[in-house]
Amino acid sequence: MSAITLHNVVKKYGAVQVVHGVDLDIAEGEFVVLLGPSGCGKTTTLRMVAGLEDVSGGTLSIGGQVVNDVAPKDRGVAMVFQNYALYPHMSVRQNMEFALRPMKLGKAEMDRRIAQTAGILGLDALLERRPAQLSGGQRQRVAMGRAMVRTPKVFLFDEPLSNLDAKLRTQVRWEIGKLHQRLGTTVLYVTHDQVEAMTLADKIVIMRDGHVEQVGTPEEVYAAPKSTFVATFIGSPSMNMIETRATGGRLVADGLSIPVPTRFGDRVKDGQEVTLGIRPIEIQRVAENAPGAMAARVEVTEYLGNEALLDLRVGSHDLMAEVPADQRAAPGETVHVRLNETALHLFDTRSGRSLAQ
Amino acid sequence: MNKLSTRQTILIYLALGVVLIVFLMPIYLIASSSLKPSPIMFQKPPAFLFAPTFEHYQDLFAMRPFGKFILNSLIVALGSTAFSLTIGSLAAYAISRIRHKRMNDVAFWILSMRMFPPIAVVVPYYIIFKTAGLLDTPLALIIVYSTANIPLTVWLMKGFFDEVPIALEEAAAVDGYGLLETFLRVTLPLAAPGLAVSAVFCFIFSWNEFLFALMLTGSEAQTATVAVMSFWSSDAVQWGRIMAGSFIILIPGVIFVLTCQRWLVRGLTMGSVK
Amino acid sequence: MAYIRKRNRRIFLIFLLPAILVLFLTTIYPMIYAGYLSFRSYDLAKLFVPRVFVGWANYREILSSSEFLHSLVVTFKLMAMTLSVQLVLGVGIALLVVQKLPGMPLARTLLMIPMMISPVIVGLVWLFLYFPELGYLNYFLSLAGIDAIPWISSTNWALWAIAIADIWQWTPFVMMGTAAALQSLSPEPYEAAMIDGNSRWDVFTRVTLPQLKPVLVSLMFLRAIDAFKIYDIIFVLTKGGPGDSTEVLSMFIYRQSFTFWRMGVGAAASFVSLVIIVVLITLFFKSLNRDQTA
Ligand SMILES: Nc1ncnc2c1ncn2[C@@H]1O[C@H](COP(=O)(O)OP(=O)(O)OP(=O)(O)O)[C@@H](O)[C@H]1O
Ligand SMILES: [Mg+2]
Repeated sequence: MSAITLHNVVKKYGAVQVVHGVDLDIAEGEFVVLLGPSGCGKTTTLRMVAGLEDVSGGTLSIGGQVVNDVAPKDRGVAMVFQNYALYPHMSVRQNMEFALRPMKLGKAEMDRRIAQTAGILGLDALLERRPAQLSGGQRQRVAMGRAMVRTPKVFLFDEPLSNLDAKLRTQVRWEIGKLHQRLGTTVLYVTHDQVEAMTLADKIVIMRDGHVEQVGTPEEVYAAPKSTFVATFIGSPSMNMIETRATGGRLVADGLSIPVPTRFGDRVKDGQEVTLGIRPIEIQRVAENAPGAMAARVEVTEYLGNEALLDLRVGSHDLMAEVPADQRAAPGETVHVRLNETALHLFDTRSGRSLAQ
Repeated sequence: MNKLSTRQTILIYLALGVVLIVFLMPIYLIASSSLKPSPIMFQKPPAFLFAPTFEHYQDLFAMRPFGKFILNSLIVALGSTAFSLTIGSLAAYAISRIRHKRMNDVAFWILSMRMFPPIAVVVPYYIIFKTAGLLDTPLALIIVYSTANIPLTVWLMKGFFDEVPIALEEAAAVDGYGLLETFLRVTLPLAAPGLAVSAVFCFIFSWNEFLFALMLTGSEAQTATVAVMSFWSSDAVQWGRIMAGSFIILIPGVIFVLTCQRWLVRGLTMGSVK
Repeated sequence: MAYIRKRNRRIFLIFLLPAILVLFLTTIYPMIYAGYLSFRSYDLAKLFVPRVFVGWANYREILSSSEFLHSLVVTFKLMAMTLSVQLVLGVGIALLVVQKLPGMPLARTLLMIPMMISPVIVGLVWLFLYFPELGYLNYFLSLAGIDAIPWISSTNWALWAIAIADIWQWTPFVMMGTAAALQSLSPEPYEAAMIDGNSRWDVFTRVTLPQLKPVLVSLMFLRAIDAFKIYDIIFVLTKGGPGDSTEVLSMFIYRQSFTFWRMGVGAAASFVSLVIIVVLITLFFKSLNRDQTA
């Protein structure tokens, strides 16, 4: 059974529509990440699931029950807010108690749950402190604890790591992943950080301007992006995009001509404008006379330790290549590179959609 | 601003000294006169050192039931404060949270209610309370003072509620609390300083009020301000007692200023100063 | 971001209702009632029982009565006297107490005390100071070589006596508002002016005052609204006298209603005062909105 289902969910603020018919199916126990650039409607979608915003159209179900008109408190969800939203006038223990009280569990059970959650999150020593007396990371943990004690059907997270420094972020990210493995609760998680998405998600939902661009496992969205938007959004450094025209079975652009890989079959029509995508790591340095070798001038070199990034100029196009550090070249040098044919992504330039099967 | 020279600094302090003397002298006069024996009340030059006497205070409480009038003042002030705080903070919360362009108009309408001249409605009040049998009762004053205190509370509390992050209320909503519970358990505790400030403003206003107290009460529900004034209307002016009574009446206001001055700006300037 | 589900909006409106209801019953209704009374005449035998409908007679009477028009003139005269002095003094003192010198915060606090004193007490203490023969004010003035002034017993001085008491109580208000505004001004224009070598007076009139103006305008409207309602201090000091030299509109209404028991005339005058105050309140809110957009 699905834990959460969104069917053609729409959100309007007055005349402005910010979420356009989102369809999404989240299975029990799945970790789903909503990913997209700022302002694309991630938070809005999450808040509709929480019941903090009215759904303007479509249906939203949790646990098989349509909840469009169900109050937040009756949805069985728990939410971790971006700024944690800890009650400043209550201690850590009281914050958790406050979240439990509506469940009417009895004092003993409440204490047991608080102790258990505190144990899991390492909050035992902090229970009597007020939020103001905690560090950012500790507050984050308390916010998760407050959500966890209620053993909800669904966890909702809105950019829970965005207020932490880089090192802490990595650590808490890892802890959230572990926690999910341990508790197995369904999670809907909003972020604009693709590393979080890739490392945590069972399924990534990539949003853009209130639309869902693609839904898939981290591997799928990385290896088989369905649109130029997803292709450039996922992966770092981002995928090189070259606008070409299909001419006689070849993709031609200034300074570059590549045969259309056979796996695209007859989906590439002669004369079609095709955007060619290639990840920097799939551009290799080769000898001048190697098959498919292209001359490129090195503009900038960035040394990163194990590898190096080369800003290349091919014809009138800029390409970024990621090569082993010992293969780097000095700016101004001319090198020869080859695009890994099996890793080519082709998109229809007009629609931005992938031409892969 | 530029650095001040020594001469400028001295001039500033001199001017400030004059200002302070002018603005504090009447208060000193009330305090000292209330302790001065009657014969030297108007002695010139004024006696700064004298053997203080508590006879005026004793007279005050002995000759007339001044204690009762103080009690009346307290009942009226506390009653109106409690009533205004309850109704006013609920309204302020609504105004703070409903996001609608009309809400500003509602807020201004409420605020304007405290700006009308009391004298213009004294006669209607008199007739209404007479009909209702409420003349000369504390209840009448509690109701009347609330007309000024509710707008003030709404005005002040709206500012405090605006500062409580909505995410906290959303967290409570997700945790399973309804609106009223969220308000009582999350928002109101966080706006507690506002509640305290509003309470003090309401209290002082009611405590100090004179016109309605004069018109709507008789011997039973008379408040301290009216009682003090009555020492003047009798044949001989009993300055000692007037000053003793005045001193008692001004104590709450002075304590308020000394402890909460930073809120005075907000409470009195009605948004003129941000 | 707002979390307002439709249901919540209804609950919020329920929260708002008691306040609106109470204010309607305790403010709007009495005003309407005053309007009703203003079209009635009264019988001295049955005080407070409105009798016959008399149409606009009460209004015609007050608008053609020199007493009423005189009370309006006195009201605005007193307003002009107190507001102008409070403005100048208040801004002047504010400039003193915002200096970054030791003791200034304390001075600011102490200067706020008069505002929180009951107006009756203010009236009484100034009466004590003005008191004929005995009062200390004339004694202090005599030390400065000034002849005794018949503060409350002369038609020339009584209005000033009232104005001084009001100025004493409310100059701190202008001071407090101005000081708060001054402290929120950005220091940069001053630094620029200092570098440019402008004189202090230039800086004050060209840089400070223009920035203060919106605040001062709003503060003055608030003072005007209050000055229009002034009652307690006059009641204590002069009761409108000597003659009718200090009979402001409030006093006129009071005397018509409770000395001559002409409730209808009093109500008509009350209604005129409500109209004037509505204008002042509207101007005040306009002044607030203007400096919000500016
Ligand atoms: N109350 C509102 N009224 C009108 N528009 C709104 C409102 N709240 C959000 N929006 C708009 O809806 C769009 C989506 O906002 P949302 O907060 O969901 O973005 P987001 O994907 O979470 O972005 P971010 O990564 O910056 O948090 C934005 O364009 C925003 O301006
Ligand atoms: Mg967001």
